[in-house]
Amino acid sequence: MAITGRDTFLGRVRGALGRSPGVPEPDAATHLGLTQDDVRSAADGVRREMADQADSLLDAVADSAATAGWKVRRVGSPEDAADVVTEICIATDATRVLRSDQDVFDAVPVDAALGAKGVTPGIATVGEAGADIPSLKDVAFDSEIGITGVDYAIAETGTVVLHPRQGLSRLVSLAPGRHIAILNKGDVLPSLDELFTLERAGYQDGSLEGSMNLISGPSRTGDIAATIVDGIHGPFEVYLIIVG
Amino acid sequence: MLPKTERFKQGARETIADPVIQESMEAVYNGFHNNRQSAGAATEGWDDQRDRGRAIKEHTIANLDYYLEMLTDKVDANGGNVFFADDSAAATEYILSLARTRDVKTVIKSKSMVSEEMSLAHEMEAIGIEAVETDLGEYIIQLAGEAPYHIIAPAIHKSQDQVAEMFAETTGTDPGQTPEELTTTARGMLRETFQRADMSVTGVNFAVAESGSIVLVTNEGNGRMCTSIPRVHVAVMGMEKIVPSMQDLAMMLRILIRSATGQRISSYVTMVNGPRRDEEEDGPEEFHLVIVDNGRMRLLADPKLREALYCLRCGACLNACPVYRKVGGHSYGWVYPGPIGAVVSPVLSGLKQGKDLPFASSLCGACREACPVKIDIPNMLLHLRQQIVEGPSEVRSVGWMERLGWRAWRFGNMKSGRFRTGGKMANLMGRPFAQGGMFRRLPPPLSGWTRSRDLPLTASSPFRDRFNKRRTRSEG
Repeated sequence: MAITGRDTFLGRVRGALGRSPGVPEPDAATHLGLTQDDVRSAADGVRREMADQADSLLDAVADSAATAGWKVRRVGSPEDAADVVTEICIATDATRVLRSDQDVFDAVPVDAALGAKGVTPGIATVGEAGADIPSLKDVAFDSEIGITGVDYAIAETGTVVLHPRQGLSRLVSLAPGRHIAILNKGDVLPSLDELFTLERAGYQDGSLEGSMNLISGPSRTGDIAATIVDGIHGPFEVYLIIVG
Repeated sequence: MLPKTERFKQGARETIADPVIQESMEAVYNGFHNNRQSAGAATEGWDDQRDRGRAIKEHTIANLDYYLEMLTDKVDANGGNVFFADDSAAATEYILSLARTRDVKTVIKSKSMVSEEMSLAHEMEAIGIEAVETDLGEYIIQLAGEAPYHIIAPAIHKSQDQVAEMFAETTGTDPGQTPEELTTTARGMLRETFQRADMSVTGVNFAVAESGSIVLVTNEGNGRMCTSIPRVHVAVMGMEKIVPSMQDLAMMLRILIRSATGQRISSYVTMVNGPRRDEEEDGPEEFHLVIVDNGRMRLLADPKLREALYCLRCGACLNACPVYRKVGGHSYGWVYPGPIGAVVSPVLSGLKQGKDLPFASSLCGACREACPVKIDIPNMLLHLRQQIVEGPSEVRSVGWMERLGWRAWRFGNMKSGRFRTGGKMANLMGRPFAQGGMFRRLPPPLSGWTRSRDLPLTASSPFRDRFNKRRTRSEG
């Protein structure tokens, strides 16, 4: 789009540093110097590790997610996952339920399971791009529960990673009071390092979504009398359903 | 905000004399401090990670022009706009004019220390735009009309009762609410504001040069609200907040968050790569990145102060500092309190006015010890002290009385005769005012010394005389 005031500003930065324009000497401190092939092969390594260690990573994230404040439920099949979703909706008296339009719902029959209990989840999508953003926002704020899949989870931190995109609104995991995330085996990364390796490899291959969210527990504050309270702006309760 | 750094001593005295705040804050600082220490101890290779974090910052700042250029090229390529602002006035003007031309009625703000430098919320209100701080702590101090008390916990000095009273005045709720109830009250008020906001202003915890991304770290989720709902998103950053590569983020996030709250990760980390993509369901239509100098160039130009630009704004040095813990956040008189504030605030907002801040340290080194990137704050404080006393005339700031006093001292010490006579005179003239060989209370300008300790009277018989007497005796 536009860059304003850069030349003079950078001139002053160079003046302050006593530096002339040019590429810095390579420095091992940053990963910037890795070649595209380095990053790509590191990313391949990460994907292999995710597959090879899928079971232990799933156990690890179940623990760390609980520590981070997720209510963790482990189930054996997609059908069981849909039943747990229904169970949560019933237990919390939720009737206004919203879900994303992600592939995970092709396997996890949330609509059918909820429908059997008389709840019809809304699907958070605006159809044609930009056609009806205000009403999606209103629906999201009015919903009691938002359900999404998970792009990745991170074992180190108990984190769920989501890239908002077509079918996955930014608000489904944020505006409703409760968020349910459904995680499949094989989608767990060991740590933040592997996440950013994959992100970088994807970026170098030309893919960069508008944003990425790392979610690690409920919305929290400690700003009143240093007392930790869950649920200031985002969900006050978050559930992680682990399938597999 | 306008600096009130010259009020440091007065503010410090008031806070020290306030037993309520002294008692309540001690537990808070200890909590932060202990959480950070346990988080560090529980992290494999913690010290090594800090070294690596420092190395990244060192390299980035040493080549800042290169990385700023890369960052802004990428933001541009991602469909965002970049504005370079020399000072807070230029940044403010840019953002206000954006708000005007986009017909903005309500702005939601996520915590940003740079926007505090600009008093941005205040400037917006002045031209009739509703500007609401959405970090709960910032929201509370906005209601109170105060400055942040702590970098990561802006309203930490407010008691539960004080917050309850403020909320009661604003919304008519019961003034006896618990923190849980107060949080629910704030949730209701702020969610209503989020929904109608048409512009947001956020800070930036890290900007990634290679991809033009900005990263926001929050626990509350207000950063996510600000980057999801309004049609215009403006991110404001100090020019130093860059890391070169996405892969550098993992470690920087680790050391920042553990040092700030002791968490392994905050509830939310949000990476923004420009405006919403066309096919996306929601998100801002416009993204603006405002990169601010506002005095940072002075830190950059001085090799001894440059490392102040490595700061991640985690607040760990505040919790560790025996001076901050006693004098509190407001005494420092500007946006940045504590040890790092004692370096940054005077340089950014005026060294002459803030001349007391670099002296507000016992140089014990606890800040350097706590810092996730091992910034040598004590060394920088010494450097600033030297500038205040001996630096170029536009920054030097020593009263004529002090200068005169030291000149007399120098004169008196130049010759042994003068020294001897001076000592005797001081003893003779001081004797009537001393009690038990000590001055209990001296008139200004020496009253500062005797306020908290006694000054001994010079000896009636100086050491040299006694030494000579003894030697004569033993030899005789």
